[in-house]
Order: sequence, then structure tokens, then C-alpha cells
Amino acid sequence: MASKDPVPSPAQGVGPIYRPDGEKPTATVSKEVSYENVHVLSQTPQLIALLTMIRDKRTTRADFIFYSNRIIRLLVEEGLNHLPVVEQSVTTPVGRAYLGVKFEGKICGVSIMRAGEAMEQGLRDCCRSVRIGKILIQRDEETCMPKLFYEKLPADIADRWVLLLDPMFATGGSATLAVEVLKQKGVPEHRILFLNLIASPSGVAEFAERFPKLRVVTAFIDQGLDDKKYRYITPGLGDFGDRYYTL
Amino acid sequence: MESISPFYSLTPEVKYSPPWQDLSIIGIAGSSGSGKTSVAMEIVRSLNLPWVVILVMDSFYKTLTPEEHRKAHANEYDFDCPESIDFDLLVETLQDLKKGKKAQIPIYSFAEHQRQPQTTTLYSPRVLILEGILALHDPRIVNLLDVKIFVEADMDVCLGRRVLRDVRERGRDIEGIIKQWFAFVKPSYTRFVEPQRPISDIIIPRGIENTTAIDMVVKHIQRKLQDKSELHTEALRNLGLIAAKVELPANVHVMPPTPQFVGMNTILQDPEMEHVDFVFYFDRLASILIEKALDMTAYVQTTVETPQGNKYMGLNPKGDVSAVAILRGGSCLETALKRTIPDCITGRVLIQTDESSSEPELHYLKLPPQLEEHSMVMLLDPQMSSGGAALMAVRVLIDHGVQEEKIVFVTCAAGELGIKRLVAVYPKINVVVGRIEADGEPRWMEKRYFGC
Repeated sequence: MASKDPVPSPAQGVGPIYRPDGEKPTATVSKEVSYENVHVLSQTPQLIALLTMIRDKRTTRADFIFYSNRIIRLLVEEGLNHLPVVEQSVTTPVGRAYLGVKFEGKICGVSIMRAGEAMEQGLRDCCRSVRIGKILIQRDEETCMPKLFYEKLPADIADRWVLLLDPMFATGGSATLAVEVLKQKGVPEHRILFLNLIASPSGVAEFAERFPKLRVVTAFIDQGLDDKKYRYITPGLGDFGDRYYTL
Repeated sequence: MESISPFYSLTPEVKYSPPWQDLSIIGIAGSSGSGKTSVAMEIVRSLNLPWVVILVMDSFYKTLTPEEHRKAHANEYDFDCPESIDFDLLVETLQDLKKGKKAQIPIYSFAEHQRQPQTTTLYSPRVLILEGILALHDPRIVNLLDVKIFVEADMDVCLGRRVLRDVRERGRDIEGIIKQWFAFVKPSYTRFVEPQRPISDIIIPRGIENTTAIDMVVKHIQRKLQDKSELHTEALRNLGLIAAKVELPANVHVMPPTPQFVGMNTILQDPEMEHVDFVFYFDRLASILIEKALDMTAYVQTTVETPQGNKYMGLNPKGDVSAVAILRGGSCLETALKRTIPDCITGRVLIQTDESSSEPELHYLKLPPQLEEHSMVMLLDPQMSSGGAALMAVRVLIDHGVQEEKIVFVTCAAGELGIKRLVAVYPKINVVVGRIEADGEPRWMEKRYFGC
């Protein structure tokens, strides 16, 4: 539906605040959404440049992997900030007291195959020995509806915070089904964090409304969806899995 | 040297003078074979400091024309008269060094009697010994000298030494040497070298054998260096006093204390933490700092096409980004740097703080070529306490042509006073700080990272 309305491009000057407006280059930044449980990464010139790199069809696979990993690490860092911490004070090597915090609670990653698996490296870069479960969801050729083919999740997943990984969020069919699977396994909605690179505005809005306690962390909310059978995000970056694994 | 500004300014410009700014130059003149070189080398050997260097005037010989070149080979060219030396270039070089700038010293080939296309870079000496038969000849140079020394020896001794040296080291024949001596060297001594004697401060008879005189000169230089160190330390202290009054400006970016960031800082500061954990979390935290620093670089607008044929208006980084690690600590940040820019051009500068005087000292420098053309140069140091090393490192970059606004100083932890001192002197640089710590915190992070 969103694709039928001509969406104005939210182009704006990007750059550090201390730089006057005239000196900031203009680029299309993420659309804004007004859901409290949707967090879009800060649209810094650097993030935009990384996204530009992976959207460009001329970017080679090696570069695509490297630059998408950099964005994924930023996503993971932001996502982890939504996990609980408890106060902890330490005596520093020079004998001063430092009131800090300690990470609390167990986590695990769950990737929606196959593109979601591409995000595992970035997750491991930040959380060394993190457990990772997998969910395979494919579109049923007849009904065009997403269908669960396979899942392998940590046995104690109900006690963990889950970082659900899927880079492209178009209509959100797979992600919605994946959340349902997690909830069936006993994971409370509020302990699910959905990490995503590029989302469609309509998809993310529907998702945020359906799961109000779940948190979405995304790098960019794009313009919309195209009208083809397998709806792609526009402008998007093509098929993430193909570009990461095979092209 | 100070010029009076026609405008009244409420905030006096805050300046940092590195210890090499007011360079002391010692001129050593004397006849060929009198032992100038040995005296200069003995002084350097006795001082045994990296920032005392010898500049030999022979490097400034003019390139010969083919005709002069022929004469030189026939021992008919006068190398001992003032006209054979490029005094203009020498004066310019000394003036640059005196201002604290880096200078290119020509390389002269005695085989070809020509200046070579390459040069040697001379930067940041605190004491320079200028040695040459005519070191005290040009009044413009005499004005720049702090000490004027004339080395003297009996002319027979001089000739004897010259014969031995030219035969052994320069492969010349005795006949040619004698011919040159009587045609040029000796007349030049009477006309140009000897007249330098009365304007000198110290006359050293018997050259190298005169240990008493050399010792006096060494003591004098040591006193001078001591004064310079004290002035430098004092100036750093004063900068701190001025800086204490200002607020942290917008170009100092302190990382927001998000739960993860504080959590990582807690782990890093916990001495109980295993070494592998420290390294892991340090690299992770440093990666965030480097990503933040990259926001300061310049970007240009671009439109790309996605595989679906859609257009996206985005940004491309403009120009090269490079980094300079302030050793040894700065190299801790290189893992994070390589994670973000795998092939980042990286320079290194070793600055050590003298433990007794707490004065930063520049020991080593290796910067990438064309550094001044890069769109951003990150200076990496895991911890900044008083900011002395940081001030010196920024100054080194500026002396090498990097514009102040292109420098981003990246550090995991810094004292507030140190940062203020840094930005008071260099208000246009950007600073990315992970955590504000107590002023005067001793550097410990690099010890923990390297495990020693």
C-alpha cells in the first residue's frame, strides 16, 4: 500500500552539529517512525556512507561483506544497550573507585536463515561465545505465505534474551513467524530484540504494532516496497543473502 | 620577534612551543684539518641525546657547471671560498629549524660535484651543531648562533691531517692535494677563515686533544638544554592554568555513557579481569571510538544504483583517512583501526615522558608521505593525562603540513584538564574521548593491554 503513495524523500544535511548547514552534504536519511519500540541508528554521515557502499550494485562481494559487517556491529552495539545491567563498583588499577555496571542476564542470537546468518559474525565480534539458534522460514510457492521449515534453538531459550537477526525487513512475514516461534518456546515478547539493517516503513509499522513489547533496532527505514511478486524494499540493496553469499 | 596586534583581543592566543621551537645553534669554524668534525662529534658523543645533531656545511656546496666540474677534477676549483657555498639556502634552512619547522637538507655528491635529487629531512633537534670552515662567515648566520666556536691547530698539523684523510677516505693523490692546498686552502684560510677568529666566543686550540675546552662546551649545552626543559615544563603547567577556566567545547566528543559502554569500561578497569578479556573488550570499545572518529571526516554526495535499478542518494567518504599512533600506547588502538579500515595508512611517533621532569620527549617519527593531503588524520593514544604528549603530537602533524581541522585525537580515557589544555592551544582539532577520568591519572591501559 505504501508503495502506491509517492513518498517524499527525507533528504537532509548530514554531518556533525558543529559544522554549519551549508557545509553538510545532502543525503537521503532514514524515514522517521513514531513507535517507541523502534530504534533507528543515529544517521551519521559515516553510517550513510556505509549504507551507500552496500546499496551500490557495483560493490564487490568482499566489500559488501566487510561494510555490511561494520553496520551490523553498530547495530549489535546499539541492540545490546537495551539489555539490563546492574551497578557494580570496581577499584581500578591505579586504586581509584569506579562506579560502573555489570551485564546482567544470559543472551542468545537467533538468525533467520539464510540472510540472518550473515549477521552472526558481527554478533560474535561483540559477544564472543554467544549461543546462536537458527530458524529456516521459506515462502510457500502456492500460498505465497511464509512457512517454518526448520528450527534449532538453545534448550534454555526461555530464560534468555534473544537477539533475532534478519538484515532485510520487507513485509515482515518471516520475522513475524519467527517471533511466534520464539513465543511458543516460552520467550516473553519483551525479551526479544530484532536487529535489522534496512526495513520498509509499512512492514516495520505493522510489526511494531503487532508486538508492542518487542524492540526493533534498525539502521535505516527505507522509502517503501515495490509492486513485484516477491516484494523488495525500495531503494533497498537487492537480495542480501545473494550479495553476501554467492554473487 | 613579537609583533604587536593592531586589535585588542580579550582572549590572548594560547600557544604551545615545543622544545625544538627555540633551537640552539652552535657554529664550529676552523681551518681544514683543524679537527672541527672531531670536536663536533665529541660534543654529540658526550651529550648522548637524540635531539643534538650535527649539520655539515659541505651539504650546502653549490652544484657545479660542467666547466667547474672539469676544474674540480683537475684540482683547480676553489672549494674553500665563500662563493662555493649556497649561504642563502643555509640561512633559510636554519631559520626554518629555528621556528620549529622541518627542513630538507640537501645531499651533496663529491663524486659528481652535484646536489642529489633526494634530501634528508631534519626535524625537531633542540641543539644543532653547524660545522664548516666558514661557519662564522655569513653575518646572517652569525646572528642565529648561540655559541660561536673557532677550532685552531698548527697549519702543518692541518696539512698533515688533510693529506692523510684525503688519501685514505677520498682516494685522492698526494700531488693533487698539495696543489689544492697551496692554490686555494691556504690563501682562503688567510682571507676568510682566520678573520672569523676574533668574532668567536670560544677558541679551542689543539682541537680534539683539548678535553677541557670541549668539556666546557658540553656543560654549557647541558645547561641550555636544562633551561629549555624547564621552560617547556613550565609552559605546559601554565597552559593548564589557562585551560582550567574554559568549558569543554563542541569539538570534544565524549562518548555517551550507554549501559554497554559503561559496562565495558567497568570490565576494563577491573584488575581482576583476565588479560584475554581485557584485550577483547578494549578492542571492542576502541572500535566504537574509531567509528565515531570517522564521523568527523569529509563526505561528498553521490547517487548509486541498487541491483534492482533503484537510485539512492547517499554519501561517499572524500579522500584518504590515515592514522598516526603515539607510541607505545597508540598501537593498542590499531586492532580496532584495522577492523574498521583494514588498509589504513598508519604513521608512528614515539613520545616518551621523562619520569623526573614529566616532560614529553620526541624520540622517533615515521610519518606516511603526503600526509598533508589526507582528508583526516587520526591521532591514536589510549590514555591522555596531562596532554603533554598530545600537544607535542599535534604540533608534529601541523609542522608536517597537516591542517589543524583535519586532526582527530582519539583516546579511550582522558583527564578533563588535559583535553582543555589541548583544545585551548588547538581549538580546531576534534577530540573523541571514551571516558573522562581524574586529572593526572598515570598511564596504565597500555601496560594492561600488552601485559608488560
